[in-house]
Amino acid sequence: MSRDGWRKKASEDDGWGGRGGYMAAKISKLEEQFQKDAPREKQKEGTSSCIFSGVAIYVNGYTVPSADELRRLMMLHGGQFHVYYTHSKTTHIIATNLPNNKIQALRGEKVVRPEWITDSIKAGRQLSYIQYQLYTKQKCLSFAGVCAQGGQDPLFSHGPPKPSPSHPKSDSIKPSHTQTLSKEVLKSTQANFTDRTNHQLDVRLNGSYSIISEEDVERPRVNGIHDGDDDVNACALLPRGSQDTLLTNGYVHPVNGALKPQDSVSFAEHRPHVVDTGSHQSHLPQAGCRDREEPSCSSAGSKANSHQSSLISTASPAKKPDPHNMQKDLHPEPTSNPGTSAATQKSNLQDQTRVRLNGSYHVTPNSSILANSSNQPGSSTAQGAEAGIISEFFSHSRLHHISTWRNEFSEYVNALQSRRRAAGGAVFSGKEKLKKIKANCSSGSLMAAPQVRQSCILHVDMDCFFVSVGIRHRPDLIGKPVAVTSNRGPGRVPQRPGANPQLEFQYYQRKQKQYRKEKTDDDLEMTPSPQFDEGPSNGVDLDLAALSMAEIASCSYEARQAGVRNGMFFGRAKQLCPDLQSVPYDFQAYKEVALTMYETLASYTHNIEALSCDEALLDASALLVELGVTPDDLAQSIREDIKEKTGCSASVGMGSNILLARMATRKAKPNGQYFLRSEEVDDFIRDQPVSSLPGVGRSMSSKLTSLGVSTCGDLQQLSMSRLQREFGPRTGQTLFRFCRGLDDRPVRSEKERKSVSAEMNYNIRFTQVEEAESFLTNLSMEVQKRLEGAGLRGRRVTLKVMMRKAGAPIEPAKYGGHGICDNFARSVLLAQPTDDGQLIAAEAIKLFHAMKLHVKDMRGVGLQVQQLEGPHADPSGQGPSRGRSIKDLLLAKQPARSPRKDPLAQDGLTSPSSSRAFSSNQERVTPPSSPPSTISDPMPGTSKGDFHHPRTPNHVRASLNISIEVPSPSQVDPSVLEALPVDIRKQVEQSWRHREEQPSTSYHLPSPPRTSSSPPAPSFGTLVLQLPDQPGQPCTTGIILELPDFSQVDPDVFAALPRELQEELCSAYRNKANAQAQGTTVEQKNTFPQLKQPAVGKLKHRYKKRNASPAKKGPSPLKKLFPGNSPAKSSPSKILPLPLKQQGLKTENVQCPSSPSTDVPKTLSKLNPRPVPTLAGAYEFSDIRTLLREWVTTISEPMEEDILQVVKYCTELVDDKDLEKLDLVIKYMKRLMQQSSESVWSMAFDFILDNVQVVVQQTYGSTLKIT
Amino acid sequence: MATLTRQDLNFGQVVADILCEFLEVAIHLILYVREVYPSGIFQKRKKYNVPVQMSCHPELNQYIQDTLHCVKPLIEKNEAEKVVVVIMDKEHHPVERFVFEISQPPLLSISSETLLSHVEQLLRAVILKISVCDAVLDNNPPGCTFTVLVHTREAAARNMEKVQVIKDFPWIVADEQEVHMEEAKLIPLKTMTSDILKMQLYVEEKTQKT
Repeated sequence: MSRDGWRKKASEDDGWGGRGGYMAAKISKLEEQFQKDAPREKQKEGTSSCIFSGVAIYVNGYTVPSADELRRLMMLHGGQFHVYYTHSKTTHIIATNLPNNKIQALRGEKVVRPEWITDSIKAGRQLSYIQYQLYTKQKCLSFAGVCAQGGQDPLFSHGPPKPSPSHPKSDSIKPSHTQTLSKEVLKSTQANFTDRTNHQLDVRLNGSYSIISEEDVERPRVNGIHDGDDDVNACALLPRGSQDTLLTNGYVHPVNGALKPQDSVSFAEHRPHVVDTGSHQSHLPQAGCRDREEPSCSSAGSKANSHQSSLISTASPAKKPDPHNMQKDLHPEPTSNPGTSAATQKSNLQDQTRVRLNGSYHVTPNSSILANSSNQPGSSTAQGAEAGIISEFFSHSRLHHISTWRNEFSEYVNALQSRRRAAGGAVFSGKEKLKKIKANCSSGSLMAAPQVRQSCILHVDMDCFFVSVGIRHRPDLIGKPVAVTSNRGPGRVPQRPGANPQLEFQYYQRKQKQYRKEKTDDDLEMTPSPQFDEGPSNGVDLDLAALSMAEIASCSYEARQAGVRNGMFFGRAKQLCPDLQSVPYDFQAYKEVALTMYETLASYTHNIEALSCDEALLDASALLVELGVTPDDLAQSIREDIKEKTGCSASVGMGSNILLARMATRKAKPNGQYFLRSEEVDDFIRDQPVSSLPGVGRSMSSKLTSLGVSTCGDLQQLSMSRLQREFGPRTGQTLFRFCRGLDDRPVRSEKERKSVSAEMNYNIRFTQVEEAESFLTNLSMEVQKRLEGAGLRGRRVTLKVMMRKAGAPIEPAKYGGHGICDNFARSVLLAQPTDDGQLIAAEAIKLFHAMKLHVKDMRGVGLQVQQLEGPHADPSGQGPSRGRSIKDLLLAKQPARSPRKDPLAQDGLTSPSSSRAFSSNQERVTPPSSPPSTISDPMPGTSKGDFHHPRTPNHVRASLNISIEVPSPSQVDPSVLEALPVDIRKQVEQSWRHREEQPSTSYHLPSPPRTSSSPPAPSFGTLVLQLPDQPGQPCTTGIILELPDFSQVDPDVFAALPRELQEELCSAYRNKANAQAQGTTVEQKNTFPQLKQPAVGKLKHRYKKRNASPAKKGPSPLKKLFPGNSPAKSSPSKILPLPLKQQGLKTENVQCPSSPSTDVPKTLSKLNPRPVPTLAGAYEFSDIRTLLREWVTTISEPMEEDILQVVKYCTELVDDKDLEKLDLVIKYMKRLMQQSSESVWSMAFDFILDNVQVVVQQTYGSTLKIT
Repeated sequence: MATLTRQDLNFGQVVADILCEFLEVAIHLILYVREVYPSGIFQKRKKYNVPVQMSCHPELNQYIQDTLHCVKPLIEKNEAEKVVVVIMDKEHHPVERFVFEISQPPLLSISSETLLSHVEQLLRAVILKISVCDAVLDNNPPGCTFTVLVHTREAAARNMEKVQVIKDFPWIVADEQEVHMEEAKLIPLKTMTSDILKMQLYVEEKTQKT
């Protein structure tokens, strides 16, 4: 849908403009209706009360009693019932079950079980809802805010404690506070009562503090006094709350505060000191300081809060307080003014709360805006830094749920298999049944088996899983457009300040141009960043900004017909399809159904690969042969079974391999089956879009599109070598095979995990580096949990960070979302595999610092651990044992753990009881023969069968580092060694030991043949003592290479040279002599001569440097220098060097004839139509040299694309007939790379040289002489 | 600023003059550096402000002059692609080939000011490079001879038959034997890029000279 369409729609007058739009009108009408009905209902019932005056509920989802009943009850008891949730007016949300998304969105709201209402009615008073909260974890932080309305105003808190008559209801309230507050309220209500004033006050409060500060002055002090007993109160009265804090600091629940004002105040105040884990301490006071201007205060923490409370206490009385929120505290108030437009006032109050929340937190700069926009959605943004928010996030994240299910089901399948093995056989009920049917019907007919001799894979996929599960007990929804989403309302949410949906929309639109691709019809397609996917089709426009950004997890086929897609934002979908019904998440049901599905499948065969909770692969080859049925029969039977047992329909695709089976499923959907016969494959696949191939994502399909490829047929036209050139050897090959329908991946019922990660890109808003650090620590703990859960340990830690793209709006259009981001990733290789969260955290934090990011722009953080090793790492080289079962894994885990706990234990010699420690030592000692124990598959989805290969070189290299890089003991200054951290020192010493054992390891390196193809993994974690940059030296040596032997210089010629030249030559010869000496030492001792006399500080510095920026995978200098990253793309004129610089070069040239710097008449080269060859924009040899040096010295693992860039540059030099420069570049690289500590570099050089030689050979018929 | 284009009559000539002058110096120097002739016949001269060696053997000098005289028309028309000084052993197998690869920018305008001095600097660099090239080359076997080859572009060779610049000094098509060199190693010596011409000098050296 084009934007114009939207605009038109938006501008079209729907006739409701005058009333604030249709929805507003509808809501107010509903309210009127409610008010009208209420008296009638009361009359009918006879009994009525005002228990719920001021309470406005919104019923979400299924409740007992039903929504209708609740509505009636609210009528009877003076409450309000909202059919549509209005953030500003609805005070309570009644629900028994909420999806995670909703919980997140409603973090600031009171979500209460319906029993609250019934019990309150029973008790004849409004009970504290706290016991009825649906999610006990919601609360906390907001206290800081709400508390303020409560008693904490010191001006009043000294008044005589007079128990308020309204009190009996809320047991935990401290009389004195109530008293004061009501007093204050009365006072201020007199002063200004109207909404108008309230609004002004809002602005003033947030805009200028000076007004309030007169009240403020005394506060800190008074608060300080109060702190003491409040503290006690907080702990005594809110035990649950305080416990929860640890987990849910970020969760906000204002009402708690309203009910127990004093508690909450003290709670908020003291949490930093008493309860909090510490992540808080930093920002809470900070925010406070920012808020206020008076510098003199007792303690920062109380200052912040006191200020806040002052803010609020002035503000809240100004408006008529929310009758519910304030009811207990301000009893006189609501009763004295009952029936006045409570709604609007409530809205104001809630604003206030929010302002405070944000203020007390981190969004302070926004607070004034926030206050003005009366519709700030949700609650305050939870802070990423909150301790516990991570586990909270993950315990609620639906993506996380689903992703864990996959593992669960994989394990389920594994368990099935091991059970079968244990029992020596299994009962396949489904199979038996099918056999019977088969026997019945085929008794007369001939067997249909023969054609099925070949392998047959079944891909079983539930049809719009979430929807069909969601509506299986709701027949009324069958056949209607249904979407599973967290948003139940009209699909509109108020726009938040700071958000700029238009900008994001434009961005996505641009992006979409690049990545225009077919949306797949996959039910469970939930991408981690749906904004990117669906941003474009969501068509955010001026009007749409207010649309709900809740994503649709799944929608029915009826909805899809209307253009609704999975992952689309609900608001947008609602526009496309006004009848769209939304169904809440029901994770329990999903799980049940999924389990049933797997049970059903397992009743046929145990060769199941769990793909996700709703799809699985079956290898039915053997089964079909055994039963002698056709795949169609089998699929039919399976589908019927599933339908019968789960009430949901499934589609089945069949093909001779996984790829084809999956593609067939696409055709089978919905609720069908399709057998892609081998003879049809060619025709079938030709028309498939490339994006339907696994592994072809957005970026690859856009790249393919640029190659003119849109279907697999097009792709078939490309040669293998072309593909490999474009996409790398492995991916290229995979593509080549896939587009021909070839796929040799086996159905793997037991899957090796390749990585364990935890990532969070929702609600990440840091203000302080410490927050980010503590977040990373928490994230690491989550990773640890998962690693432990999987019984794995990993060696590579990758930190992924999403940063707000420069220029992107501060607040993304999706609430709490990440908006437009740049992604960064860095990884580090640990010396030992680990699952220790602390260790991971330490590495992650190091990486984080090395990236030097602006914390405030962080929008997402992920930690991934790769190169996993099970506790079963098998030194005999068999790799991950195929027959491994979960049970084995569990058994093996116990003994394996002990050595890991103590990293030093591994330094000792092999402990026979622990295979783990043994293998790790093994790896270090005998690198070349060391077996790969796990895999890091460079391309997910490609042939998993041969996963050993990529790993092997890594191991070799990693161990090689130790032997090469560590100088021999005699060459190391003992004091330097002393100064090293213990673990590093251990490593160094250990490597010496190893070297003694295997002195020649480093030399007999089987050069892995795949260097060029897969970018070899960098080896970090070993002691890398990098060759320090030696400015000038490479340069001089570069010249030296061209110099003849001094003995060969004709003395006459030399004498005839101008004096400067002579000097130049002399120094050059001296340098040459030095360099040669150095070169020989390097060759002979295989160590860096620089290490011989390093001062302690120097080495330390180097070590530090390494820590600060460990060899990184991050942007290579080649890229850094030239963002375009492709010299071809750059126009030559852009990169012409500055004339000034050339001037300098020229003179240098005159002086130094042997200096090879090229001289170009710059004034004219502009006119030269031939593009000058450039490397990442560098053009002058000196720049090239700098670039190369930076490349080689800062990066431990050259990336394939960079290598190819260099090759390309060299080729261009040949074409440009600039052999001299080529020669210099090659020689320079040779020296750099072969001296580099990483053997990867030598291999990289060999690769480059080989390529260049081929080109030179083609052009000149001979190859370069490399000396 | 006066600008010249290739269409100007004397432009090609200017380039050819400069280049031939340079080639003459270069050839002499190569013969000296590579010890094709005994050093006794060489005299030290000064060219491009650096010392060079020049043969005083009149016949050799004549031969070089004649050769270059014939190369000149080709260069004028931008028809010479490479000028190669081939050093051959006794069996007339080439052991070294000094290749001057010449290409002239197809279209350009020249500012007269920077022209000469700048080109001279570049040429000097090449000369200096030649004078030290024995550092990177293996010694030649004794008894070497030399010859000069010109690789022409397109059909220039055929036209040349018609226009014999010097009587009794015709170009002949080179023997395959003289051109072809087995297992050659390429050693780039110098590349110069100026506004009037782009030239690179490299040596192709036979791996096993003896």
